[in-house]
Formats: sequence, C-alpha cells, structure tokens
Amino acid sequence: MNKIIEILEELKPGVDYKNTENLIDGRYLDSLTILSLVSELEEEFDIEIPTVEIIPDNFNSVEKINSLIEKLKED
Amino acid sequence: MLIFFTKFYNFFFLIITFFYNLFPKKARPILLLLVSLVFFYLMSSKLIICLFSTITSIYLSTILMGKLDEKKNELLDGKSSEEKKQIKKIYNRKKKIVLIACILLNFSFLFLFKYLKFFTINSNHLLNLLNINYQFSVLKIIAPIGISFYTLQALSYLFDVYYGKISADKNYLRVALFISFFPQIVEGPMARYSDTAEDLYKGNDITYANFTSGMQRILWGLFKKMIIADRLNILVKMVFSGYAVYSGPICFIGALGYTIMLYMNFSSTMDIVIGIGEILGVKIPENFRQPFFSKSISEFWTRWHISLGLWFRDYIYYPISLSKTMKKLTINSRKIVGNYFGPLISGTIALFAVWSLNGLWHGAGWTFIMFGMYHFVMIFTGNLFEPLIRKTFVKFNLDRENIYYRIFRSIKTSFLVIIGELIFRAPSVKVALVMLKKVFTDFNIKISEMSSLGLDILDYIILFVALVLVLIVGILREKNISIRQEIGKMNIIVRWAIFYIMIFVILIFGAYGIGYQPVGPMYADF
Repeated sequence: MNKIIEILEELKPGVDYKNTENLIDGRYLDSLTILSLVSELEEEFDIEIPTVEIIPDNFNSVEKINSLIEKLKED
Repeated sequence: MLIFFTKFYNFFFLIITFFYNLFPKKARPILLLLVSLVFFYLMSSKLIICLFSTITSIYLSTILMGKLDEKKNELLDGKSSEEKKQIKKIYNRKKKIVLIACILLNFSFLFLFKYLKFFTINSNHLLNLLNINYQFSVLKIIAPIGISFYTLQALSYLFDVYYGKISADKNYLRVALFISFFPQIVEGPMARYSDTAEDLYKGNDITYANFTSGMQRILWGLFKKMIIADRLNILVKMVFSGYAVYSGPICFIGALGYTIMLYMNFSSTMDIVIGIGEILGVKIPENFRQPFFSKSISEFWTRWHISLGLWFRDYIYYPISLSKTMKKLTINSRKIVGNYFGPLISGTIALFAVWSLNGLWHGAGWTFIMFGMYHFVMIFTGNLFEPLIRKTFVKFNLDRENIYYRIFRSIKTSFLVIIGELIFRAPSVKVALVMLKKVFTDFNIKISEMSSLGLDILDYIILFVALVLVLIVGILREKNISIRQEIGKMNIIVRWAIFYIMIFVILIFGAYGIGYQPVGPMYADF
C-alpha cells in the first residue's frame, strides 16, 4: 500500500491518497496520469495490467489499486 | 427511404407494445429478434446477409475463444510456472488469430460498403495526377442500415470475450438479438453485452410503470425532434446550400443551427430508443449527458455520443497507449520531460489514432477526416497548455471553479464544437474553408439576411421558447434532478395536464406538413 501511495504522490502530489475513495470519479487522476500509473505499477510489482482492468472501479482508491495488484499477482 | 423508415419503425413499435405481453415469456426474445430481422430486411433487403455474417462470425469466434480458454486452463493444471508461461503464450496467440480473423472479416464489410467508393475515387484522382491512363470503375453500393453501429457493437462483444471481461455466450439467439435489436441498430447507442443482452432475452412483462415512464421519455424525444430539429432543418439547408451569398455571421448561425439540430435530432432518437428499452424493461445506456455544459473538448466527448467515445477509449485508446512499446516510452519519457509531458507522448499517439478513426467512422469523406483532425488538434492543444493554465491560475490566486469562469469555458467549448460541426456538415473541404474564412473575417451582419433563412418570426419565437425549456431540463439533470420522477409525484390531474399540454404542443407547434421537411435519422448512414 505504501509503495502505491509513494508512486501516486510522485505522479500527482497534493491529494490525500489514504482517505480518498473517488480518485477517478472525482477527477483527481486523469487519463494521462493513469497511463503513467499503470506503467509504474507494472514495473514496480512485475505484473501486467490488461486494458479491461482499466476501469474507474479498480483505480478509485489506493485499496482498490492494491486489490487489483494482488489479483493480478495471483494470475 | 425516410418515410419508409418512420413508418416501419412506428409500425414495429406498435406491434411489440400491443402483443408483447400476450406472448409466453420464452417466446418474447424470438418475437423481438424476428421483428428486428424483418425490420432490417425491409430497410436493406438482401444485405441482411451481412448482418447474419456478422452475427455468425462473432458468435463462432467467441465460442472458439471460450474453448481455447477452457483447453488452456485444463493444460495449466499442475504445471510449473515456466511451463504455464509457455502454454499461456501459445493459447493467447491462438486467441489473437481468431480475434484478428474476425475483425478483418467484419471490417471488410465496412470497407466494401462504406469506404471502397471513397478509395476508388481518390485512387483515380491520384492516377490522373500521375498521368497514368487507367481508372478504376466506381461501384455504387448502398450500405446495410446501421452497419457502422452494429459492427462496432458486435466487435465490443468480441473484444470483451477476448480480454476475458465476459465469457462467450453459447446461446446464438441471445447474441443475434443483442446485435440486431431494431431500435438500436439504426443509430445506437452501442451497448455492451453486459448492458443489454441479458435483459433483452429475459422477456420481462411490459408493466404499467415501465410503459408510462418509457412513453414520457419518447414524448420528450418527439418534442425535441419535431419542434426544434425539424424546424431548424430549413435554416440549416438554406445556409449550407447558399453559403456563397451569406455573410460570416449568417454562416456561423447556420453552423450553430446545425449543431443544435444535430444534438436535438440525435439525442431525441436516443430518447426514443431508451424509451422503448424502458417499456421492455431493458436499460439501454445513455448516449448524451448535457454535452454543452462541458468545460473542454475532451470532456465534451465524454458527454456527447458517449457510447462511441467509450468504444474508442476502451478498444483503441487504452490498447494503443498501454501497449508494451508505449509503456516503455511513457516510463522513459517521464524521466526526461516529467510527470505531465511523459505520458502525453504515448497519449497523443493514441489520440491521433482515435481521431483518425473517429473521423473515418463518421463517413468516407475528406470533411470527416478534417473533422477528426480538428478535434485531435483541439484536444492535443488543450493537453499541451493545461500545465501553463493551471500555473497561471495558482500564480494569480484565481479560482478555476468560479461559476463565471466555468460558464466562459462552456461557451468557449461550445464555440469550438460549432466550428467542428461546420466542417462536418459542409459538403466539401473547399466549402468548409470558404465558410470558416467568412466566419472569422466577414463580420458584416445584415439583418435582412435573417428573414431570408426560411423561418418566420413565429418560428424563431417557438425555437427560443423550446430551447429555453431544453436548457432548464438540462440544468435540472445536471443537478441530478429527475424531471420525470418529479412529475410522477404530482397530483394525477396536474400530471396528465402536463402530458396533454406536451402532446398538443407537439401537434400544434411541431414542424411538419407543407413547407417543412423532417430531418432523417442523420446518423443512420454513418
């Protein structure tokens, strides 16, 4: 979780990532940030995020991003 | 053709609403499918073979993909991780071959019916330019109704199965109904399989609540179409055919009129389609969300023709911008040009692909390609200057969410959209350029021109009042207030008075009869 927050902070500082639960729906992260985020997460966690997983529901909170990573690690 | 369309559409709609509940539940999807196929046959006769080919190829490909996945999972059992990687690689490649073959087959229909003529004509021009004494014969082919819509909708199902988002449906009838459901096939919205396939097949009863709610939505659609769109059609035709004699402001009024007409016409068709869906208990996704309140062109495309925007985002933008090469590019360029401009490079490449295809999807013509490129440049420029604008606002301590600034942004976006629609509607690039030049250089407005646009003072008053009503409804929707729910809560007498007034307003002020020509289903030919 902390690593995800670290990446997010680096990509777009100034958002309370721990407590925000509408990162996408609240327009905190735009599509360009998502492009960076996906690339960084893939490199950091050695996973491949398929494009079908790029839906608001998977990126709306740090917790959601974490569960996506966990799910993809299992695959 | 147009009269045919309207008559058939209404006729089938009536058949369904009258007899639907009398059919046993299990027979209802078959009834819907049959009606849809007969409708398609009456509109496009033998070309129904194209629809069948699409349905069947998509059905077989998805089943095959499902089988490949099953086989892969069987083989994976108890294997080492290295072996698993190898098996996955082999089967993913097989799946990809099926995917590409199916896409090629379906795109070949699209190419044949929509683009061949354009390509032959332009190849002939090129041969002429090169002094080669050969000309391809230009085939005159009429495209099957809604081919651009049903092909993309069918392909979205193929992609969703390919990516493992949903599993392949073994029920041919359900797949066929999803692709060919008649209200949607003409102009969309392009639904996803998970949106409508299940509900269409369920054959739920038409209930009183659903029926009235759906009819209200249809009534609202008719209001927008018959009072506004059909009336503006006269003005738009006048300006775009006689652009040479009109001044800049009138050319702009023509483009503005066209933009409003397109919105009213297209969104009213969506009201009717979604209304029919509601009657049948099927939730068809929305295609518009108050687009003219958008603060930027990119936001506009998340509110206008939403299903097309989502299609391009999910099946073109992300697959390109998140391909392996692009991801590497993003990571590397981010280190050099920073967090914002790093992903902008891959994002822009994907954006270019999206808008080239979006332009072409709208039609085989240079104006459509120009329309696509115009949007690409606008969105790209917006992205490019975003950090600068953001910094300026912070520096001068200005509030970007200030209501006046928001209104200014919406007006600016609407202006840019109107210019785009001018290009879109112009009969050729040359005409588009002439009109644009007039709009930006010739400001001599002549009041007398306004009265030569085919509408009288009463028409303008009706248009004004109707547009104010549409604007109020839009503001309420933007505030998440459902007008139909609010009316539903009212006293029965007030409620029915509102409906009767609405019906009579359409009957009295609707632009039909001598002197008027209704707008056709504008998107049906795309």
